[in-house]
Amino acid sequence: MMYSFRSAVFAVSAFLILSPSFLMASNSTSGDEEEKIIDVMGKVSDHDYLEVLGTKIYLPRILLVDGQLYAYSTTDSAVESGEFVMEEGSLVRADGMPVSLDLSITSHLMYVWFGLILTLLVTLWAAARYKKGTGAVTEPKGAGQNIFEIVFIFVRDDIAKEYIPADKYKKYVAYLFAVFVSISFMNLFGLLPWGVSATADLTVTATLATITFLITQFSGSKDHWRHVFAFPGVHPLVRIILTPVEILGLFTKPFALAIRLFANMLSGKIMIISILGLIFIFTDLFGTALGLTTSVFAVGLTALLYILKAFIALLQAYIFTLLSGVFIGMAAEEHEHEHDTAVAADTATVHI
Amino acid sequence: MELGLLAAGIGAGIIAIGAGIGIGMIGKGATESIARQPEASGDIRGAMILTAAFIEGVALIGAIVCLLLVVL
Repeated sequence: MMYSFRSAVFAVSAFLILSPSFLMASNSTSGDEEEKIIDVMGKVSDHDYLEVLGTKIYLPRILLVDGQLYAYSTTDSAVESGEFVMEEGSLVRADGMPVSLDLSITSHLMYVWFGLILTLLVTLWAAARYKKGTGAVTEPKGAGQNIFEIVFIFVRDDIAKEYIPADKYKKYVAYLFAVFVSISFMNLFGLLPWGVSATADLTVTATLATITFLITQFSGSKDHWRHVFAFPGVHPLVRIILTPVEILGLFTKPFALAIRLFANMLSGKIMIISILGLIFIFTDLFGTALGLTTSVFAVGLTALLYILKAFIALLQAYIFTLLSGVFIGMAAEEHEHEHDTAVAADTATVHI
Repeated sequence: MELGLLAAGIGAGIIAIGAGIGIGMIGKGATESIARQPEASGDIRGAMILTAAFIEGVALIGAIVCLLLVVL
């Protein structure tokens, strides 16, 4: 086993060193070093077009400059009108005035809408069925309704009921379920051909985290605010340190929530592009033969990564929902005050 | 620019070490407690995912900083 592995390594390195295409390629690549073979960040960033079956559908550009609204059907027509010029991949005013707000509809925004619309359709369809009585008085019928019920009961029982106090959890089930389903859809869209996962954009995840943050603060009980501004059971001088930390803790929670979802989806995309990009890099450096050999490994590895990505898409939706539930539950909780010091020691952990 | 790339690479490596140790310890604790008490495996798995998510969050904040070093 060890011997065969060693001989395989030796054979590969001998192939690398002796390959004539390697020598040929090393002569030709010295010229254009600045040209990037694979533009990784270009693939994962936001675009002004939607790709469907290989054709690009350009999306409208809406820009607010100094209180005046400019709207064009595509980026090209914005440039043609003479008001705007392209500069380093973004639209700027021709006369140098700064663009105060870019409200353009981008591919990520479109995919957020697709996710939300799909969630709305699914829930409305299920609601219509439950109103008719299927599932409410009889058993749920069909695969669709059964899956819907499994997901809904999972969110309600395992997330909402588990982490939010029993008398308040009903209010938040709708939000948690909507977040879970729509993030799942947004993540899974990235697995489709030409699809874009909108959650690989910090603005999208930050918006979602902001909604959770606002709900958390507005559902905060008296005890929640007391714990932030006047932590019970500690010396007043300690509170001088503790209060800023607690206030910081309010904001780090949604911040970490946004970064976690964003970075997970982004890293999956970057990994797949990088591994597929190895084929082109090796072809460029060492010739076609090694490029072909690499492609066998790279495509196999990408197929495995895709399965992992499908799992991570659902897992991250679950984690986002779970942590939203945990944060809301922590804020909504009301403590008993007979044993203040014990409670204080119990809840003194700052979550990040 | 080259130093920035080097820093990003070293940083990503250190993040992997830290997150690996952290999540490995969670996995150790979870498997041990599931072996000791198999009937509580559902609750333990939930707690494991929650804790791993917290560690992952910190690690990914570092990873994003490394990514920014490369991109910007």
